[in-house]
Amino acid sequence: MAAAAMLTSCQDIGGALFFAGDGTYEFTNANLDTGYLVDESKIHRFETYSDSDTIQGVFVGDFAQIQNDTVIVYLHGNGPSMDNFWSSVGVLANVGSQHRYGVIMYDYRGYGKSTGTTVDAASMQADYDAVLEWLVDRGLTSDRMVVFANSLGSLPAGPAAAGNSPIAIEKLVMETPQSSADAILQDATGLSLPSSMITGYDFDLGANMADYPGALLWMHGTEDDVAPIVNARAAMSEHQGSHYVEAVYEGAGHGLRWDISTEEWIRVLHEFMLHE
Amino acid sequence: MNIKPLIAIALGYFVVSCAPSKIVAPLEQGNWQAGATLGRPEINEGSLPVLGIYAAKGVANNRTIYGGMGLSSSLFGAMQLEGGVVKGLVAPKGWMPGYSISYGANAFMSARNGDFRLYPDAGANMYWKKGPHIAHLSANTWVDPTWFLTRYGQGQILAPSLGAGYRFRYKWLEVQAEYKLVNPSRELMVPQADVPGIAGLGGRGFYYGLALNF
Repeated sequence: MAAAAMLTSCQDIGGALFFAGDGTYEFTNANLDTGYLVDESKIHRFETYSDSDTIQGVFVGDFAQIQNDTVIVYLHGNGPSMDNFWSSVGVLANVGSQHRYGVIMYDYRGYGKSTGTTVDAASMQADYDAVLEWLVDRGLTSDRMVVFANSLGSLPAGPAAAGNSPIAIEKLVMETPQSSADAILQDATGLSLPSSMITGYDFDLGANMADYPGALLWMHGTEDDVAPIVNARAAMSEHQGSHYVEAVYEGAGHGLRWDISTEEWIRVLHEFMLHE
Repeated sequence: MNIKPLIAIALGYFVVSCAPSKIVAPLEQGNWQAGATLGRPEINEGSLPVLGIYAAKGVANNRTIYGGMGLSSSLFGAMQLEGGVVKGLVAPKGWMPGYSISYGANAFMSARNGDFRLYPDAGANMYWKKGPHIAHLSANTWVDPTWFLTRYGQGQILAPSLGAGYRFRYKWLEVQAEYKLVNPSRELMVPQADVPGIAGLGGRGFYYGLALNF
């Protein structure tokens, strides 16, 4: 191993997984889909702190109602900032009816105007914890929280669901999740190479799901070329928790909501949320 | 989930971890060859540089041993070493091709945590030699004895490759070019990147080499 260390520069591609970029944070109805508008007085920017970095977030709803309402924690995918996912937040704010549920989203460090750099599981966990602590301070409890993880968002959601969340997750939605770092490298090589050959970010959603006791909704398209369905299915099938719903769509790709229609996306999601 | 080009590049290095054919026609006894290889596996609409170095020695008139190291994989924290033997079976005569076989192994070790993988390989070459010109068709397969360690059971025991190439071996110089189809028995996937293969399977690309004989 010492010889290996001497012969290799050990550049880690973990950071290269993250497509962080600038954000303008123009959270208005002008940037939402018609039919899924929100009361603009209920759009609140906030910031919290993760280690020495500042995490930027947006909450749609009433701060005062966090101690009473159900809140959807939206963990966004690998776009440059929350801007890219604002339309999904608008839709979530209209699930059931307008503002039936509060919705919160934040930028991982380095994304948008959040400071620092996302590099590994530890930084993603710290950012998630910081936002969850912000919600704890405002009275959110486990029975009123739904975590919705889109693509990259599945990486912090996995360990959180497995027990590392300031508020225990009882309902989790995995939309087009990745599977494991090992699987990505093995799919690329056709060999049994472990992810440690290229990165120290060893995520494994299958193992996380095996440790998650709550309810799980998995949404995926069969033609997803970013998060292959074969591996995602294998990872999600390790879930042994209280309730499991699988929504797989023939011919749909990684932009699932656009491929299956927003109406269908809402239908499946809300049915899951209402399940006792 | 967008992926920066770097991850595609890094993964691409491994897509073609099956290295180019080092020796096709055995060296004469006592002769050495040392060289560098440059693979250009196709990914998306371009290709990637995959660098390696090797040395070989003719230990008998029909037997050559070689060893090499992958440089690209080492950039990302994995030491990649290979070694093996090329044995001449039938010497080429006129337009009649010669035949050789090869066998060896490829080792990967992570500098992060010492994870280790060993992949034996075996192959066969059919080659024509006319003066300094060597043309060849090659088939090779890596064997994955730890296929069962793949996550979600996606492993396979054999990772075959096929190649066709040309070498110009003249006095102290050898120039090599080879086109390879890598692992055409399964789909290779890199997130947000297209790995061109044959009917959606495997990868492909040109490999070049420059070597000194002494």
